[in-house]
Amino acid sequence: MDILIVEDARDQRMMLAVVLKKQGHQVFQAADGHEALDVLAQHPTIRIVISDWMMPNMDGIALCESIRQSNIGRYVYFILLTGKSDRQAMVDGINSGADDFVNKPVDFAELNARLNAGIRIIELKAALENKIQTIEKDLESAAETQARLLSEPARIQQVDFNWYFKPSRILGGDMFGYHALDEQTLSFYQLDVAGHGVPSALFSFTLNNLLREGSSASLLKEALSGPPFYRIKEPDEVLVSLNDQFQARPEAMLYFTIAYGIINSRTGSVTLSQAGHPPPLWLDARSRTIKKVGGGGVPLGMMPDMTYSNVTFDLQPGDRLFLYSDGVTECENSEGEMFGEARLESLLADTFDHCVADMIKKVEQSIIGWTGADVFIDDVTYLVLEWQP
Amino acid sequence: MAFEAKSEAGYTIVSMDETRLDASISEPFRLYLFDQIDSGSDQMIIDLASVRFMDSSGLGVLVAALKKMAGQGALKLAAPQPAVEDLFNLTSMDKLFTITPTVAKAIEG
Repeated sequence: MDILIVEDARDQRMMLAVVLKKQGHQVFQAADGHEALDVLAQHPTIRIVISDWMMPNMDGIALCESIRQSNIGRYVYFILLTGKSDRQAMVDGINSGADDFVNKPVDFAELNARLNAGIRIIELKAALENKIQTIEKDLESAAETQARLLSEPARIQQVDFNWYFKPSRILGGDMFGYHALDEQTLSFYQLDVAGHGVPSALFSFTLNNLLREGSSASLLKEALSGPPFYRIKEPDEVLVSLNDQFQARPEAMLYFTIAYGIINSRTGSVTLSQAGHPPPLWLDARSRTIKKVGGGGVPLGMMPDMTYSNVTFDLQPGDRLFLYSDGVTECENSEGEMFGEARLESLLADTFDHCVADMIKKVEQSIIGWTGADVFIDDVTYLVLEWQP
Repeated sequence: MAFEAKSEAGYTIVSMDETRLDASISEPFRLYLFDQIDSGSDQMIIDLASVRFMDSSGLGVLVAALKKMAGQGALKLAAPQPAVEDLFNLTSMDKLFTITPTVAKAIEG
């Protein structure tokens, strides 16, 4: 272990150094607090400081406070040397950040025992840091996987899709996607798994895999024996199957809200079903109005045997749908006020002259302006589609 | 966090000294409710009068308690404030729970 001895009395410092070197430690020396800070800055391997209290220029307490306030990027274990009768010095020392103290004149057996206690703590801390690093690396790689699962902005069969996605912390439970089910039908969805972190993200991966499945017999299609050999399931049927398949346990309520829809890319007809998700907004380009479509529905995974309803409507060329998670409207400003639905709707009402990409940017800027930061408490996701035949 | 249970007219009435029922207290709240259920409370009213904001974790706890009761007994939600009521509407909680404007109404019927 690399140890720094801070002591203005040269003979005492030398004696301590000799003893500690004999025990196999690498020893550095300083005559006061200022010198000690210089030595610490030059030698990042020093993890233990043994310091006298009374010294000229900068005493032991000031040194300890200075180390605790600095950003030296490592924990330094601080042992303060005090006079035997000076109980108050010991209390002051520990209050100012010292980890331990040793009475003067130094009993070397005692110093050795206290050093060993310090080394144990430093080693525990290093092991902990190591583990945290491993976990963070895993989280980062999971976040990369999540990013790869996201659909690229695309134009599929006369429908333009684009989005904004910002997970809270590193990993989020929001997910979205859009895929062709046949040559004229596209599915699209946006879902929000309750909670954050690894369990929510893993669950959202699973759901995403299921919802992008394009084979003839799947969650989204029923196989038929005669031509065309499949039937595209109605959105409410899809939600009922998902609900039956993913019932949460009371001990771990992994449930999710979703808006799932299909659009006929030739006619612009949309059918949509929801389970506890904020109602998607229909941006009617001709009348320049914004309508909420659908609403309600018990979130999926909460209770078995729930039913869901469909809502069907026809888009006109240039109309858009805006699907979003509650992370958008629940963003809080510094006063704790939420962004809210009304603000979102009036913001979108000003985007009819913007292209989809600019609209997405405008909403992002508005939310970041509202929160005053681009780190959000919840996942923030919105998916925009525009029918442009 | 402070949760409290009292008995009245055959109901266990759980209330809390919290304005936000969110991820930060959802786990202790879940354990508290599960304790109540494990110790035999099967007619329960959760008084939400103090709660100004509830997130998905908070909502999850209410449903977790309902799932744990597994159809034995009753769990009613009383006095949801506007933001909580909006959340209940969005998620159709009236399909799962009896929701009443006051605790007294929940006791009546």
